[in-house]
Order: sequence, then structure tokens, then C-alpha cells
Amino acid sequence: MIRFLKLYEKFGIFIFIFAGAVFLAFATPNFLKMGTILNIIAQGSYAALVGYGMTLAVTSGGFDLSVESVMALASVFLAILIPVIGIPLAILASLIVATSVGVLNGLIISKLKVNPLITTLGMSTIIKGVALLVAGGKMIVILQKQFMVIGTGRTLGIPNPIYVMVALFIVFYFIVYRTSFGRHVAAVGSNESAVKISGVNVDAVKIGVYALVALTAGLASVVRTSQALIGMPSMAPGFVLVVLTVTILGGTSLTGGRANLWGTLLAGVFVSMIYYGLNLINLQIFYQMLSVGLVLMLALFIEGLRLRYLKAAKAKGIKV
Amino acid sequence: MPNVRDAQTMSVTGELLRTEGLTKTFPGVVAVDGVDFDVRVGEIHALVGENGAGKSTLIKVFGGVYIPDKGKIIMDGKEVAFSSTHQSQESKIAVIYQEFNLVPDLSVAENIFIGREPKTALGTLIDFRRMNSRAAEILATLDMPLNVKSFVADISVAERQMVEIAKALSHESRLIIMDEPTATLTEKEVRKIFEIVKNLRARGVSIIYISHRLEEAFELADRITVMRDGRKVGTRQIAETNKSEIIEMMVGKVVKDYFAQAGTSTEAREPLLEVRNYSVADAVEDISFTLYKGEILALAGILGSGVHRMLQSLFGVIPKKSGDIFFQGRKVNIDRPRDAIRLGIGYVTEDRKNAGLLPAMSVLHNLTIIIIRALSFLRGLFIRDGEERRRFEGIRTTLDIKMSGPGQRIIYLSGGNQQKVLIGRTLLTDCKALILLEPTRGIDVGAKAEIHRMLRALADKGLSVILTSSELPELVNLPDRCIVLYKGRKAAEFTRETMDSEKLVAAQIGQSSGEGRAHV
Repeated sequence: MIRFLKLYEKFGIFIFIFAGAVFLAFATPNFLKMGTILNIIAQGSYAALVGYGMTLAVTSGGFDLSVESVMALASVFLAILIPVIGIPLAILASLIVATSVGVLNGLIISKLKVNPLITTLGMSTIIKGVALLVAGGKMIVILQKQFMVIGTGRTLGIPNPIYVMVALFIVFYFIVYRTSFGRHVAAVGSNESAVKISGVNVDAVKIGVYALVALTAGLASVVRTSQALIGMPSMAPGFVLVVLTVTILGGTSLTGGRANLWGTLLAGVFVSMIYYGLNLINLQIFYQMLSVGLVLMLALFIEGLRLRYLKAAKAKGIKV
Repeated sequence: MPNVRDAQTMSVTGELLRTEGLTKTFPGVVAVDGVDFDVRVGEIHALVGENGAGKSTLIKVFGGVYIPDKGKIIMDGKEVAFSSTHQSQESKIAVIYQEFNLVPDLSVAENIFIGREPKTALGTLIDFRRMNSRAAEILATLDMPLNVKSFVADISVAERQMVEIAKALSHESRLIIMDEPTATLTEKEVRKIFEIVKNLRARGVSIIYISHRLEEAFELADRITVMRDGRKVGTRQIAETNKSEIIEMMVGKVVKDYFAQAGTSTEAREPLLEVRNYSVADAVEDISFTLYKGEILALAGILGSGVHRMLQSLFGVIPKKSGDIFFQGRKVNIDRPRDAIRLGIGYVTEDRKNAGLLPAMSVLHNLTIIIIRALSFLRGLFIRDGEERRRFEGIRTTLDIKMSGPGQRIIYLSGGNQQKVLIGRTLLTDCKALILLEPTRGIDVGAKAEIHRMLRALADKGLSVILTSSELPELVNLPDRCIVLYKGRKAAEFTRETMDSEKLVAAQIGQSSGEGRAHV
């Protein structure tokens, strides 16, 4: 049992993906085609992209509820700036805007010691307001068609968002597992006071974490905005829940200290599979939210069971 | 006060509670060993002993927290058994632990009547008016100056103590057990608590009073019982004993030089760290001392002496009020742990679980967290795995840390091995001075001796160690010098030659005047 639970922590997401794949394979003959699979993965890219950032935040013992508003803000900036300064600079500028929101989150959380829930929830509302103000309350159509290539183009037959997803995965893998910053993030999530007496600048670590989450939200916004070719001041409502689902389902512990970046990537794909499956059986879009909520609760339920079982096993003196 | 018996009508020698051969064992240790103990009606019975003597376990048996393995508890001549705190309460026993059992967000009155709030006529709502007036009544009978509507979160420790006592009285308790009630109180507050305790006695309530401060026991108690190593050493009438007899009973025989040999000679020592006129708010006042190169210095003191806060401040965990620190002859500022680490000072917390370990992480990562940035290329950008492993292996062999592998999670190591990891963590920084708070708390005997040997070996290589401990053998035998603080001030100093366990205990509990005052 213990062995199973340990494996679950690492590979639990595979069970979900496998179950989903088997279901879809039977439900539709189209599923087992390369094109379909690639599409599913490409659609999973936003959740995975922001999921990387969220994984970092959860590992540090916090989380960020402002991601969808940051995405909206970046989207609006893209739409306004592209005609003015061109695509590359507009992307850079909107990423800087997004990251600054994250830095602000980090400053409030670390220096003013406001808890992450209140900080990022409040920030989310403020930023949504700012996005609407800047956009004048409406969507902004982007006329520069070449911008679409990021979100809808293909390279060597593979959708471009997948490249973004993989490239950022590599970057985050490096950050989480290969840098001292990544080690500090996990340590802060594991025991903040212990890290402090080890001389680590905890405030800087937290600011870095929230800056990176916002940066991933900015990148996801670039991909999303490019697909729609519209700057959306109310982009992706409820998306934050999807991102949290992806992070937790992927096996990153909500108690902090342990990241599972592979899990986040795969969970992003899994959530995309759910969407695809629901489309397939012609269910309304509302069911998507419902099902993501259910999956989140299921993932948390299993996580709770796991922790309880390990604790009981430890109390009985079983070696774990 | 309803139902509290009139002291006048009762014989003072009437027995309230007695134990026969009470024994409680935990894996590997007999915490209470065949104790015969008795409390009379309307007496204050002081219970004293060193840390680990078994006092806490004994009162937890009375409180229904622990169920004894052997022996009887007899109350009013009848055998009773408490298998829960509730049953103990039913028998009119109240235990006031050091960590209070109060809800900070409720008022004084609500805390006193928690779970038994007076109800309105319909029996559904709490009758706040009646509750507050009854609470005020109880507080008034004991002359406690407290507003029943204040939130417990807003009142002082002494006042919380009063709320606990009032709660006990509202339960019509006949025996109130107080565990070090005055450890963190000011002189004035102590006086107030004393008055209340005497007042309780006058009302026929019996009190078991645990304290580390002998003078309090002698001022307050009618009888005194000394425990040591789980056994009762003896019970005396206060009038028929004196402090030195009690200290002798407490200390027993501490085998000297049980640990590794003494360090280098005391001549030609080179000072490493000098603390001058150092004060920390609510902790220590005007403390000066010098830590020499390669010496093990102990700062000893009971709860409330300020030693822990003194050492925490020295590492920048809590701020100082005034005073200077000189390190290698240079005046330095230590405002936060980072400053201390940069100077070459290491620190091992007494609160291993909450402030030391990174529970979610592996042994390897726990150890190297302190140097991981320095271990990487380009200011932390690329961790040098090989170097990290090499440094880890070095510490692992030096300290002989036992584990299944570097990837094992730290929480699955034994307490002794966890402590070694924390010490190893500081050693990785090549520190020159090491501050250790309670270095062997919660560690089994074998690992204790091992850590002592290790510290001595490190000191022989030139590391300066400054530690505090609440365990007598550790204080007597490990350090080269021992400075005793009492209520925030220096009370005595012992060298290896003048060290005497009885005098040390005496100094710690505020009895350093007279011949006990060695080498001040």
C-alpha cells in the first residue's frame, strides 16, 4: 500500500490520463489519430504554462489567484501595442507588465506579510479593473494577421503552442531542480523559519516566485491572444481553478516543499482531454467547469487520503 | 463560592489524594517509577526536581492525560482511575499546564464557563448577563482584578493564569495542580499569584505547586516533595528542611567526567566573540561575557532566565535592546541571521521540528540548503551536483549520520540523526563559532554521548561552542566554562575546576548567595 501511495505521488496523473485515453478511444474513432492528439496537447498548453508558475508558487507554500487577470491585462496590452510598436516589442512589453504585477504581489506578500490568498485575490480584482479600463470595457481586435502564427501555426507539422509548452518546461525544470533559487523555493515552502536562520533571503525568494507565476500567465496570454486575434479584458474566467487543478493533480503537494513539474505538464494535457471528450459528446461548455471542479475535488480527496494513510502508517511505526 | 468546604471544619492532616507505587513507562524510559505521593486537604505541596525527573508525567497522570501502567490513585479513601481528562475533572482535579488551555478569541467569562455556559430560560441561548456576573463573582472572591469581558488574547500571562484558576474554581476543584506558574511572570505578578494561591489554601483547596525556583516553594508550601529520575526522593515539611538539603536531594550524584575529556588549557586563550553590556527586551539585562577560541561555553538558566533569548539575539533571530558584540576584535552588527552566518557564526535551534528541519525535503537538501547558492556557478544559476555530493559525504562521515541514502526524507531519521544534520548544516559554512540551544533535547542516551564527543572534537580543532541546556549532566560535564543567568542577570560562573553540580543547581534556581556563589 505504501509503495502504491509513493508511486501515486509521482505517477498518479498517468492513471488519470490512461483512463481518459481508454474512454476517448472507445467513445470516438477519431481520438487515436495523430492530429487529434496533437490538438489536445496544444490546447492543454495554457494550463500547463501557467501551471509551471503555479507549481512554483504552491511549492513555496503559497499560490496565486491573480493569474487570469494578469492574462487579461497582458492580452489588452498586446492588442493596443501591436499596431504601435510592432509584434516583438509588444510581446516584450506585455510580458514586462505581467511580471510587474507579480513583483507587486511578491512585495505585498513578503514585505507587508499579507497572506497570498488575500493578496492575489485582491490583486486579481484590481488588475481585472485595470484591464477593463485600459481596453475601454470592450474587446480589441488585432488586425496584424501574422501575430496568429504563435498560437495557430505549425512547425514541422506540430502546433507551435506545443513548442512553447516544451521550451518553458525545460526552463522551469532547470529553475526548479537545478538552481539554488529552486532549492530555496522548496525550502521556504517546507519550513520558512528554518530557511531564515539558514541565512536565505526569504523575501527575495517570494518576490521571485510571484514574478515568475505572472510571467507564465503573460506567456499563456500571448499564445491565447494570438489564437483569438483579440485583446480580451475579461479573458479566461475561471481559468485559475483549472491551473490549480493541474498543479495539484500533477502531484505538487499543497503543503509546500515538493514540486512535481512533470505532473503539471501531464495534468495540463489531461484537463485538455476532458474538454475534448466533453465536446465530443456534445455537452455544453458549462459542463467543462463542472467537470474541472469535480476533478479538482477528486484530486484533493485522493491527496487527503494519501496523507492520512501515510500518517497512520507512521504512527503504527511502519517504515515509509 | 458554592461547595468549597470550610477550611475551619476540616482537619489539616486530612488526606485528599494518595498514590501507591504509581508507575508510567514510555518506550525506553521509566518516567514515573513506583511513586508514593500524597496531598492533604488544604495544603500547598511543592513538587520539585530537575528536568526529566518525572514531575510532568506525574501531573499528567493526575490530569487523566496518561494512564499509569502500575499503581493506585486513592482519593477520599477510595481508589480512582482516570482514563480521560474529563474523569479527572469530575473528581474535582484541575491541572493548569504551562501552555494554557484557553481560547484566545473568547472573553474571560466565556473561557471560565466554556462548555458549561449558563443558558437563558428557553435553554437555547447563552445567558451572557448571568455568565458574566458569575464569572465576576468568582474573580472577586479571589480578589483578581480582571474584566470578565476582556478577550484572553489581550490579557497578560499572569492574568491568563488567573483565568485558569477561576476556571478551576468554577469546576469546584478540590485539587489544583500548577505547573511552573511563575516562570515567565514579573516580580509583582508573582506576588499576586502567591496571594491567590494562599487564598485558595485558606478555602480548603489543595494545591500541587511545581516550580524551579526554590525560594517560591519555601515561601509558599507546607510540604515539599523532590523527584529525581522518575522516583520520589522524599517528602519534607517545609519547616523541617532547608534549601541545601532539597538541592542535595534534587541533584543526587552527577557523575563527573562522564563525557569526553576537558578541552585545551585555559592559558593563552584567544578571544573570539565578546559580548558587552548586552540587553534583550524582557529577557536579559547588562550581560557581558567572552567566548574564547576552541572552548565550549555554557550559558545555563531555567525558564525565565533569558538564556534562550540571549542566544537567539546573538544570532540575529530576535533584536537586542542595547549592548555590543565584538567578533575577532572587531565591533559587529548582527541584525539578522544572515549577518551572523557571514561572520562565521552557526546556530542550531532548540525547536528542531518547527524552526530547524525542512520536513518535506531530503537529508541531502536539508544539509546543503545553507550553502547551495555558494555551491553553484553564476550566483546560484547552476547547482554543482558533484560538489554538493562531495560536501555532503564529508559531513556525513564526520558526523556519522545514519540514513538509507541522501535522498531519504529527513523526517524519517531518528532525532539524534536529525540533530546531526542540523549541526552539519552549520559546519558546512566553515563557521568559527557555533551556538547550540538544547543540543540533545529529545535524543536517546547513545546519540547524546555521541553528539557530546563530536562537539568536543570540534572544539579541539578550534571551533568555539556556546550552548545552553536544561540537562544537568550536560552542563556539568560538557563545557569548559559555565555562566549561570537568573532572571536575566549573571548569577554565577563556573570553570571546569570549580564546577559543582549542587552549586550549579543552586545558582540556577536563584540560590547563588552565600557559599554557593562560586567565582562570580
